Amino acid sequence: MTHAGRFDCVLHRSLAATVEAVEEFFVEFHRRSQAMMERVNCFEAELLVREALANAVAHGSGADPRKQVQCWLRLRGKRLLIAVADEGEGFDWRAARAKSAGDLDCSGRGLEILYRYANQVRFNDRGNLVTMIKDFDKRNCHDTSNEGK
Amino acid sequence: MTQVTRENNRAVVQPSGDTIVAATLPELRLTMRDIVGEGVRDLVIDLSGIRMVDSSGIGLLIATYNSMRKLGGRLAVVNASNELLELFRSMRMHQHFSVTGN
Repeated sequence: MTHAGRFDCVLHRSLAATVEAVEEFFVEFHRRSQAMMERVNCFEAELLVREALANAVAHGSGADPRKQVQCWLRLRGKRLLIAVADEGEGFDWRAARAKSAGDLDCSGRGLEILYRYANQVRFNDRGNLVTMIKDFDKRNCHDTSNEGK
Repeated sequence: MTQVTRENNRAVVQPSGDTIVAATLPELRLTMRDIVGEGVRDLVIDLSGIRMVDSSGIGLLIATYNSMRKLGGRLAVVNASNELLELFRSMRMHQHFSVTGN
Protein backbone atom coordinates (compact mmCIF):
# COMPACT_ATOMS: atom_id res chain seq x y z
CA MET A 1 0.00 0.00 0.00
CA THR A 2 1.15 3.54 -0.60
CA HIS A 3 0.91 6.47 1.77
CA ALA A 4 -1.41 9.15 0.48
CA GLY A 5 -2.85 12.28 1.97
CA ARG A 6 -4.84 11.90 5.16
CA PHE A 7 -4.87 8.12 4.88
CA ASP A 8 -2.06 5.97 6.27
CA CYS A 9 -2.28 3.47 3.43
CA VAL A 10 -4.07 3.45 0.11
CA LEU A 11 -4.38 0.69 -2.44
CA HIS A 12 -6.37 0.93 -5.66
CA ARG A 13 -6.38 -1.79 -8.27
CA SER A 14 -8.36 -2.48 -11.40
CA LEU A 15 -8.57 -6.19 -12.13
CA ALA A 16 -10.12 -8.45 -14.73
CA ALA A 17 -13.37 -10.02 -13.57
CA THR A 18 -11.98 -13.51 -12.98
CA VAL A 19 -11.33 -15.60 -9.87
CA GLU A 20 -7.70 -15.92 -10.98
CA ALA A 21 -7.27 -12.14 -11.00
CA VAL A 22 -8.81 -12.01 -7.52
CA GLU A 23 -6.17 -14.46 -6.27
CA GLU A 24 -3.41 -12.40 -7.89
CA PHE A 25 -4.83 -9.36 -6.10
CA PHE A 26 -4.59 -11.15 -2.76
CA VAL A 27 -0.94 -12.02 -3.33
CA GLU A 28 -0.33 -8.28 -3.51
CA PHE A 29 -2.77 -7.63 -0.66
CA HIS A 30 -0.75 -9.88 1.65
CA ARG A 31 2.58 -8.51 0.50
CA ARG A 32 1.51 -4.90 0.95
CA SER A 33 -0.59 -5.28 4.08
CA GLN A 34 2.33 -6.02 6.40
CA ALA A 35 2.08 -2.46 7.68
CA MET A 36 -1.53 -3.09 8.71
CA MET A 37 -0.85 -6.25 10.67
CA GLU A 38 -0.53 -4.64 14.06
CA ARG A 39 -3.64 -2.54 13.67
CA VAL A 40 -6.22 -4.64 11.90
CA ASN A 41 -7.46 -8.18 11.88
CA CYS A 42 -6.28 -9.29 8.46
CA PHE A 43 -8.67 -12.26 8.42
CA GLU A 44 -11.67 -9.97 8.72
CA ALA A 45 -10.27 -7.45 6.24
CA GLU A 46 -9.53 -10.19 3.70
CA LEU A 47 -12.93 -11.83 4.20
CA LEU A 48 -14.76 -8.56 3.53
CA VAL A 49 -12.69 -7.79 0.43
CA ARG A 50 -13.06 -11.36 -0.83
CA GLU A 51 -16.83 -11.36 -0.52
CA ALA A 52 -17.18 -7.97 -2.20
CA LEU A 53 -14.85 -8.99 -5.04
CA ALA A 54 -16.59 -12.35 -5.44
CA ASN A 55 -19.94 -10.60 -5.84
CA ALA A 56 -18.48 -8.13 -8.33
CA VAL A 57 -16.79 -10.86 -10.39
CA ALA A 58 -19.50 -13.53 -10.36
CA HIS A 59 -22.73 -11.55 -10.18
CA GLY A 60 -21.74 -8.09 -11.38
CA SER A 61 -19.54 -9.19 -14.27
CA GLY A 62 -20.57 -12.76 -15.06
CA ALA A 63 -16.88 -13.69 -14.66
CA ASP A 64 -16.27 -12.01 -18.04
CA PRO A 65 -12.50 -11.35 -18.30
CA ARG A 66 -13.17 -8.40 -20.65
CA LYS A 67 -14.83 -6.57 -17.76
CA GLN A 68 -12.99 -4.75 -15.01
CA VAL A 69 -13.56 -4.65 -11.28
CA GLN A 70 -12.21 -1.76 -9.21
CA CYS A 71 -11.07 -2.17 -5.62
CA TRP A 72 -10.02 0.59 -3.24
CA LEU A 73 -8.62 0.07 0.26
CA ARG A 74 -7.91 3.02 2.52
CA LEU A 75 -6.62 2.65 6.06
CA ARG A 76 -6.54 5.45 8.59
CA GLY A 77 -5.69 4.52 12.15
CA LYS A 78 -7.77 1.41 12.81
CA ARG A 79 -10.47 2.31 10.30
CA LEU A 80 -10.40 0.48 6.98
CA LEU A 81 -12.51 1.71 4.10
CA ILE A 82 -13.18 -0.82 1.35
CA ALA A 83 -14.88 0.01 -1.94
CA VAL A 84 -15.54 -2.40 -4.81
CA ALA A 85 -17.20 -1.46 -8.10
CA ASP A 86 -18.07 -3.42 -11.22
CA GLU A 87 -19.35 -2.57 -14.71
CA GLY A 88 -22.53 -4.59 -14.35
CA GLU A 89 -26.18 -3.66 -14.20
CA GLY A 90 -26.17 -3.75 -10.42
CA PHE A 91 -28.74 -5.55 -8.32
CA ASP A 92 -31.60 -4.86 -5.95
CA TRP A 93 -29.56 -4.86 -2.78
CA ARG A 94 -32.55 -3.80 -0.70
CA ALA A 95 -34.46 -6.94 -1.69
CA ALA A 96 -31.36 -9.11 -1.30
CA ARG A 97 -30.77 -7.69 2.17
CA ALA A 98 -34.31 -8.56 3.19
CA LYS A 99 -33.92 -12.26 2.52
CA SER A 100 -31.21 -14.40 4.07
CA ALA A 101 -29.97 -17.84 3.10
CA GLY A 102 -31.44 -20.79 4.94
CA ASP A 103 -29.01 -22.65 7.17
CA LEU A 104 -28.64 -25.48 4.66
CA ASP A 105 -28.71 -23.45 1.45
CA CYS A 106 -25.52 -23.84 -0.54
CA SER A 107 -25.26 -20.18 -1.58
CA GLY A 108 -26.43 -16.71 -0.65
CA ARG A 109 -24.20 -15.92 2.33
CA GLY A 110 -21.95 -13.28 0.79
CA LEU A 111 -24.09 -10.31 1.78
CA GLU A 112 -24.75 -11.73 5.23
CA ILE A 113 -20.99 -11.90 5.79
CA LEU A 114 -20.55 -8.28 4.67
CA TYR A 115 -23.24 -7.05 7.05
CA ARG A 116 -21.97 -9.20 9.90
CA TYR A 117 -18.30 -8.28 9.66
CA ALA A 118 -18.39 -4.63 8.53
CA ASN A 119 -19.45 -1.79 10.79
CA GLN A 120 -21.08 -0.03 7.88
CA VAL A 121 -22.16 -1.28 4.44
CA ARG A 122 -23.49 1.03 1.73
CA PHE A 123 -24.48 0.37 -1.86
CA ASN A 124 -25.00 2.98 -4.53
CA ASP A 125 -28.57 3.07 -5.77
CA ARG A 126 -27.81 0.94 -8.85
CA GLY A 127 -26.07 -1.69 -6.77
CA ASN A 128 -22.76 -1.96 -8.62
CA LEU A 129 -20.66 -0.16 -6.00
CA VAL A 130 -20.33 -1.27 -2.40
CA THR A 131 -18.52 0.76 0.23
CA MET A 132 -17.74 -0.67 3.64
CA ILE A 133 -16.15 0.64 6.80
CA LYS A 134 -14.46 -1.67 9.24
CA ASP A 135 -13.40 -0.22 12.58
CA PHE A 136 -10.92 -2.58 14.16
CA ASP A 137 -11.21 -1.04 17.61
CA LYS A 138 -14.96 -1.60 17.84
CA ARG A 139 -17.13 -4.65 18.01
CA ASN A 140 -19.19 -5.27 14.90
CA CYS A 141 -22.24 -3.04 15.08
CA HIS A 142 -23.75 -2.54 11.68
CA ASP A 143 -24.94 0.97 10.88
CA THR A 144 -27.84 0.94 8.42
CA SER A 145 -28.79 4.56 8.87
CA ASN A 146 -27.40 5.80 5.56
CA GLU A 147 -27.64 2.78 3.32
CA GLY A 148 -28.01 3.64 -0.33
CA LYS A 149 -27.66 7.38 0.09
CA MET B 1 -3.16 -31.72 -3.83
CA THR B 2 -5.94 -32.57 -1.44
CA GLN B 3 -5.00 -35.44 0.89
CA VAL B 4 -7.59 -38.15 1.52
CA THR B 5 -7.12 -40.89 4.12
CA ARG B 6 -9.62 -43.74 3.96
CA GLU B 7 -10.39 -46.43 6.52
CA ASN B 8 -13.45 -48.61 6.00
CA ASN B 9 -16.42 -46.24 5.76
CA ARG B 10 -14.46 -43.32 7.16
CA ALA B 11 -12.48 -40.72 5.25
CA VAL B 12 -10.42 -37.75 6.38
CA VAL B 13 -9.94 -34.97 3.84
CA GLN B 14 -7.20 -32.40 4.21
CA PRO B 15 -7.67 -29.73 1.52
CA SER B 16 -4.59 -28.46 -0.29
CA GLY B 17 -3.37 -24.90 0.04
CA ASP B 18 -4.47 -22.50 2.73
CA THR B 19 -7.81 -21.29 1.35
CA ILE B 20 -11.18 -22.72 0.38
CA VAL B 21 -12.43 -19.97 -1.89
CA ALA B 22 -13.90 -19.58 -5.36
CA ALA B 23 -10.57 -20.18 -7.12
CA THR B 24 -9.73 -23.37 -5.21
CA LEU B 25 -13.24 -24.79 -5.08
CA PRO B 26 -13.41 -26.90 -8.29
CA GLU B 27 -10.75 -29.44 -7.23
CA LEU B 28 -12.15 -29.84 -3.73
CA ARG B 29 -15.69 -30.12 -5.03
CA LEU B 30 -14.68 -33.04 -7.27
CA THR B 31 -12.88 -34.73 -4.38
CA MET B 32 -15.93 -34.40 -2.13
CA ARG B 33 -18.22 -35.72 -4.86
CA ASP B 34 -16.00 -38.76 -5.37
CA ILE B 35 -15.80 -39.52 -1.65
CA VAL B 36 -19.53 -39.23 -1.10
CA GLY B 37 -20.08 -41.42 -4.17
CA GLU B 38 -17.74 -44.08 -2.80
CA GLY B 39 -20.11 -44.73 0.07
CA VAL B 40 -18.14 -43.09 2.87
CA ARG B 41 -20.44 -42.66 5.85
CA ASP B 42 -18.17 -40.83 8.26
CA LEU B 43 -16.47 -37.87 6.61
CA VAL B 44 -14.01 -35.63 8.43
CA ILE B 45 -12.72 -32.40 6.87
CA ASP B 46 -9.46 -31.35 8.50
CA LEU B 47 -8.91 -27.59 8.19
CA SER B 48 -5.60 -27.49 10.06
CA GLY B 49 -3.83 -25.93 7.06
CA ILE B 50 -6.65 -23.59 6.07
CA ARG B 51 -6.63 -19.93 7.07
CA MET B 52 -9.50 -18.62 4.88
CA VAL B 53 -12.90 -19.95 3.82
CA ASP B 54 -15.25 -17.63 1.94
CA SER B 55 -18.98 -17.93 1.32
CA SER B 56 -18.45 -20.24 -1.66
CA GLY B 57 -16.32 -22.52 0.54
CA ILE B 58 -19.01 -22.50 3.20
CA GLY B 59 -21.46 -23.44 0.46
CA LEU B 60 -19.33 -26.46 -0.43
CA LEU B 61 -19.15 -27.62 3.19
CA ILE B 62 -22.93 -27.36 3.49
CA ALA B 63 -23.50 -29.09 0.15
CA THR B 64 -21.27 -31.92 1.38
CA TYR B 65 -23.22 -32.11 4.63
CA ASN B 66 -26.51 -32.22 2.70
CA SER B 67 -25.21 -35.09 0.56
CA MET B 68 -23.93 -37.02 3.57
CA ARG B 69 -27.20 -36.54 5.42
CA LYS B 70 -29.22 -37.87 2.49
CA LEU B 71 -27.10 -41.01 2.57
CA GLY B 72 -27.37 -41.40 6.32
CA GLY B 73 -23.77 -40.38 6.89
CA ARG B 74 -22.04 -37.86 9.13
CA LEU B 75 -19.81 -34.88 8.51
CA ALA B 76 -17.38 -33.30 10.97
CA VAL B 77 -15.17 -30.26 10.40
CA VAL B 78 -12.08 -30.31 12.64
CA ASN B 79 -9.05 -28.16 13.40
CA ALA B 80 -10.65 -24.90 12.30
CA SER B 81 -8.83 -21.73 13.37
CA ASN B 82 -10.54 -19.49 15.90
CA GLU B 83 -11.46 -17.04 13.15
CA LEU B 84 -12.99 -19.77 11.01
CA LEU B 85 -14.84 -21.19 14.02
CA GLU B 86 -16.38 -17.81 14.68
CA LEU B 87 -17.34 -17.46 11.01
CA PHE B 88 -18.89 -20.95 10.88
CA ARG B 89 -20.82 -20.37 14.09
CA SER B 90 -22.10 -17.04 12.84
CA MET B 91 -23.40 -18.93 9.80
CA ARG B 92 -25.06 -21.45 12.16
CA MET B 93 -23.18 -24.41 10.70
CA HIS B 94 -22.49 -25.84 14.17
CA GLN B 95 -26.21 -26.35 14.67
CA HIS B 96 -26.18 -29.00 11.95
CA PHE B 97 -22.82 -30.75 12.12
CA SER B 98 -19.77 -30.88 14.32
CA VAL B 99 -17.41 -27.95 13.88
CA THR B 100 -14.40 -27.89 16.19
CA GLY B 101 -11.19 -25.92 16.52
CA ASN B 102 -7.53 -26.72 16.78
